[in-house]
Amino acid sequence: MLTADELVRFRRGDPDAVRAVYRAYAGLVFAVALGALGRRDLPEESTQQTFVKAWRAAASFDTTRDLGPWLATIARRTAIDLHRREARRPTTSLDEVPAAAPGMVELPVGVERSYEIAEVRAAVDTLPPDEREIMRLQHLEGLTHAEVAERLGPPVGTVKSRSFRAHHRLASLLGHLREDAG
Amino acid sequence: MTEDDDRVAYLAGDDTAGVDDATRTDLDAVRALLADETTWATPSAGLEDAVVAAIAAEAAARGPSETSADARPAPAPTALGAPDGQVVPLAPRRRRGLGLVLSAAAAVIALAVVGVALLGRGDDALTEVALEPTELLPDATGTARVQRTASGWRIELDATGLPRLDGGRFYQAWLRSPDGGLVPIGTFNEGADVVLWAGVSPEDYPVLTVTEEADDGDQGSSGRRVLVGRIELP
Repeated sequence: MLTADELVRFRRGDPDAVRAVYRAYAGLVFAVALGALGRRDLPEESTQQTFVKAWRAAASFDTTRDLGPWLATIARRTAIDLHRREARRPTTSLDEVPAAAPGMVELPVGVERSYEIAEVRAAVDTLPPDEREIMRLQHLEGLTHAEVAERLGPPVGTVKSRSFRAHHRLASLLGHLREDAG
Repeated sequence: MTEDDDRVAYLAGDDTAGVDDATRTDLDAVRALLADETTWATPSAGLEDAVVAAIAAEAAARGPSETSADARPAPAPTALGAPDGQVVPLAPRRRRGLGLVLSAAAAVIALAVVGVALLGRGDDALTEVALEPTELLPDATGTARVQRTASGWRIELDATGLPRLDGGRFYQAWLRSPDGGLVPIGTFNEGADVVLWAGVSPEDYPVLTVTEEADDGDQGSSGRRVLVGRIELP
């Protein structure tokens, strides 16, 4: 969590504060953009634009609140804008487009999924680096505790306890992702 | 093991953990997201410098009256081989191979605008929300137009694909908060031209849901959701 002073300095464009905000939230913003756009090239442009827009609007942000959800909202809207910009580019005659080709859509297909990705990424980013890496290896690469221990070095027991702590934290943070009644 | 331990164990990959079907479904969704490379993706190393340079350039353009007197000069941008002092876009503007044929599905999506203000007059601003179906009624779709008034939040809902319910059965709309809090905002029999009212703000309760209900004396939600949408206010 950034300090109020860092956020104030971010508003002023202080490069060190900009870097602090970027380092804290770039992963979240990029994951939202990638999730919404589903392609590797535009998310980087979207991420840059998101931080610039956030800086422009920083005066309106309540520095006592978490910056993450606000940035995620800007990231999503920026991704949508980029998607629409790309969709408007005239490229091929309609007669030459196969019937099964993707159509022009107002919203990128991943925009709804980007909400859930944002929440999971924000939760993951709260973990200490060692726990986050263990979780990444377990879920993304499908490694067992023993395989994680072999990859990272700590004893298997240490990996198991860190894994439990990480999953316990995520389970509590992501409880609202559940489809409760209503 | 406690119920909490079972949830944690299942989330960590223990498929034998004692969780009920509803919890299993929810945690499967989280596990799927954790296994998705998108969740773990990171931007390239040069992007940080590009962001710092872009903001520094705008701050400098605004002039010293709008920036701190203690702010240091912006560092020369180094991302993507840009010459000193020049901010460049990340990706070259090249032509894309996107087709321009409007498919039926694309036309439906084109009607769904999420979180866009249709009017810009202060409290009267309208926000349009796309409503997505669930597995209960996969062909259902709809939009909601959300407007703040002096009496509360007026929500106009227009949905298709919802069979008429009556004879003790009906639809109910809710606003849900991030921590699962639910506020009922109205009941109706079919989805065309429905007007709902909320006494709570979508800023605090941003998820709009519609459920199938029965006149059974239970004031709570049945959990049988047929439409879901997220409200993003400008």
